[in-house]
Amino acid sequence: MENNNIDVLIIGAGPAGVAAGIGAKKEGAERVVVLERDWDLGGILQQCIHPGFGLRTFREELTGPEYMHRFINMAHEAGVEFRTNTMVFQIDKDSNSVWTMNKERGIECLNPKSIVLTMGCRERPAGAIRIPGTRPAGIYTAGTAQRFVNMEGYMPGKRAVILGSGDIGLIMARRMIWEGAEVEGVYEVMSWPGGLRRNIAQCLDDYGIPFHLQTTVKKIHGTDRLEGVTVAKVDEKLNPIDGTERYVPCDTLLLAIGLIPENELTRMAGIEIHPVTGGPVVNDLLQTSNPAVFAAGNVVIVYDLVDNVSDEGLIAGANAAKFAAGKISPNVKKIPVKGGENVRLYSPQFITGESDTIIYMRVTHPIEGPCKVTAEPGLYTQKLRYARPGEMNEVRLKADVIKSKPDLKEITIDIKPL
Amino acid sequence: MNYDVIIIGSGVTGAGIARELSKYKLKIAVLDKASELPSGASRANSSMIHGGFDDKPGTMKSKFCVPGNKLWHKLTQELDIDFNPCGSYVCAFNDDEIKHLELLLEQGKTNGAPGVEIISGDKLREKEPNVSKEIVAALWSPEAGIINNFEAVNALIENARLNNADLFLETLATGLLFDEKNNIRGVTTNIGEFFAPVVINAGGVHSGEISKWAGDESFKIIPTKGEYLLLDRTTKGFINSFLFSCPSKAGKGITVLQTAEGNLMSGPTATEQEDPEDRATTPEGLAEVLKGARRLVPDFPVKLNITTFAGVRANTESGDFEIKVLKTPRGFVNVAGIKSPGFTSSPAIAEYVADLLKEELADRIKLIPNKKFIPERRNIPRFLYLSMEERKKLAEKDPAYAQIVCRCETVTEGQVLEAIRRGAKTVTAVKMMTRAGTGRCQGGFCCPRVAEILSRELNIPLDEITRHGGESKLLAGKTKEFLLKGAE
Repeated sequence: MENNNIDVLIIGAGPAGVAAGIGAKKEGAERVVVLERDWDLGGILQQCIHPGFGLRTFREELTGPEYMHRFINMAHEAGVEFRTNTMVFQIDKDSNSVWTMNKERGIECLNPKSIVLTMGCRERPAGAIRIPGTRPAGIYTAGTAQRFVNMEGYMPGKRAVILGSGDIGLIMARRMIWEGAEVEGVYEVMSWPGGLRRNIAQCLDDYGIPFHLQTTVKKIHGTDRLEGVTVAKVDEKLNPIDGTERYVPCDTLLLAIGLIPENELTRMAGIEIHPVTGGPVVNDLLQTSNPAVFAAGNVVIVYDLVDNVSDEGLIAGANAAKFAAGKISPNVKKIPVKGGENVRLYSPQFITGESDTIIYMRVTHPIEGPCKVTAEPGLYTQKLRYARPGEMNEVRLKADVIKSKPDLKEITIDIKPL
Repeated sequence: MNYDVIIIGSGVTGAGIARELSKYKLKIAVLDKASELPSGASRANSSMIHGGFDDKPGTMKSKFCVPGNKLWHKLTQELDIDFNPCGSYVCAFNDDEIKHLELLLEQGKTNGAPGVEIISGDKLREKEPNVSKEIVAALWSPEAGIINNFEAVNALIENARLNNADLFLETLATGLLFDEKNNIRGVTTNIGEFFAPVVINAGGVHSGEISKWAGDESFKIIPTKGEYLLLDRTTKGFINSFLFSCPSKAGKGITVLQTAEGNLMSGPTATEQEDPEDRATTPEGLAEVLKGARRLVPDFPVKLNITTFAGVRANTESGDFEIKVLKTPRGFVNVAGIKSPGFTSSPAIAEYVADLLKEELADRIKLIPNKKFIPERRNIPRFLYLSMEERKKLAEKDPAYAQIVCRCETVTEGQVLEAIRRGAKTVTAVKMMTRAGTGRCQGGFCCPRVAEILSRELNIPLDEITRHGGESKLLAGKTKEFLLKGAE
């Protein structure tokens, strides 16, 4: 457990971090260390005990812990070192020194040759949407509730309302039912679901849980424990419509109102953050504005499927290993990517064309019919049956196509109806 | 239980009086109905230590504000309380408002507020570049500052306890006890009777009711709600001080400030209401705050909002504090209607109350100086603010300081354990004492962890742990429990 001579240091042992470890070792890095603040590896997937993971990577439907187990085994075989119960609390701007704490080892300073940020994301809290009312017990983000139920073995409440239709909220609606609790309904302020359609079907429809679009929680009631919420329909500007209010008695409000890349350390390190994704600006090498620092997974942009997170982890780890070995030129050309029609967010934001790459993107508005995703000038076209904000779309760019256009100044991506 | 003095209420007023009286050889009991401190208006306010220009000369407020400000400068050192002596500005947008600044300047001079002056809008913008370009002038008060109000109340009460005062939480005063001459004999509560020849009413928004028990109905408390927006600490430096609007017909006006911890904050509204316990925020109130914030600071980054809250202040009809020893029954002291600048004034009020006891109630209690009085109190170590060397030392001495519990505010397990040693029993108590849960995820990460530590340390099942006492249990039971019950 030496602290010197670390080639690639990876922060966070969730799906992105474990894959980054594998990627770095495969690329030939000598010492690859993954730091994890929890006592076990796997990140948030530890508490995702429902099936649905790894359909693309393993062509099997796995639970979160099963999916991670496979990657963790691969990482061990590849010779990746892990340090659990180890939290990074500071990255120094100029030296890239990484400060860690651990009960046995105390406070230490690591100086790796390169760093991969794989801290994942966190949930938006109630305060972010400023719901008026009181502040009783019984209001949790869906992920916190999931931890209570799946990790601790406790129920947050007996009768829940779920605000927001992000995937964790949908999964938790079903989980609460399985545990004998009531779920009065799921309320979504937008006119489309936040999560995957398959989760709407499998978690709500199959259990008869009502799903209300264009409806929000307008007020919270109760002083000690939550007693109820007032729900109301919203207008086009998302403001509650007077006269549509309904009081719903409940002891629990679960929030699935969005995920935010967790970038406290990234900010500390002085790395440029993208104003829309909330994650670091990266190029297709998954390199940030600090050339020695790479990033992958939900810390960059919130993905819909874990398979993509693992893929990106492998890429970031491999490139971090290349950087540690001095194999990445600082002067590589970086072509900016611009989001055009109906593109809400996307990553990476710059393309080097060093290898084939995928730009992951989400649409602003759903298109419920044939449409196409394009990358101009003439780099990529793909027809789609639909495009929905809850599900990511991809632009696949070929390195040889990029290389064949030496005058390329900018790439514009769009999703348009056909 | 026999005491010399019973203080009803452990807000900044009650806690301040307890700390002041603990300088004397007295048996002091402080009663508070809440499960953690501070609660009530001392928890939810602007955390402002005012400069002292805002109060009409001749009022009680004007009498205590400037000396209170001076005392806080000293107390924050003695008691290790976060305090940012950043000064404050009252912002004027037009000639009428400049006239108001001139009035405040005169008042400030009369009240003895040091260093108050009127500066130009441009000079303000040199210091605070994010304020509105339409501000034409500002009243600068260099002695004003912003305090960590959670820490302040806990520091006062901890120091009072160190000097032998007793604190009783979850203890609701329900009435007074009188002797055969109809003088004060004590207080009845939900947990039993407390006896003392002197009772001090520091009941905040309930001080009017409590005064009635003693037969004094000479003033009425008008509960007045103030709503606030609190933003993420990444806004640190967006505003560096405290900005007031000029008061208008709509009220004293919305302020924008940077808290002692570096969060951007805005509020309060001023809505009179019947219910002293209604702390619900409202759509109208929050909209008013945002509008007011944007008037002062057009780019107020509300996207970074992390929570909203409301406090209920104890306004009086006279608009002034109600501090007096009642003639009858003997032994009853009102320290009522303490609202803005109540937090600022509280240490001066506490000294005044001690004088009142000496002068007017000498027949009931004797204030003999306690030579063993310890004026200092150390805060729980704040990992976030320590140097790397200090952190290393702390972690070597106690490994619990090398374990993060709250990631947003970098609060360690060591701090949580120390808060529990100092009496925290609820998740909110830990929050008040360590700031775990005050950050951008609002407890999403640390709440389960704090609850686990409380459960382990206090030997209470996890599903009995409460958010803030009473019926505020975090959990409803174990998994499978509802299913088993359903099957029966």
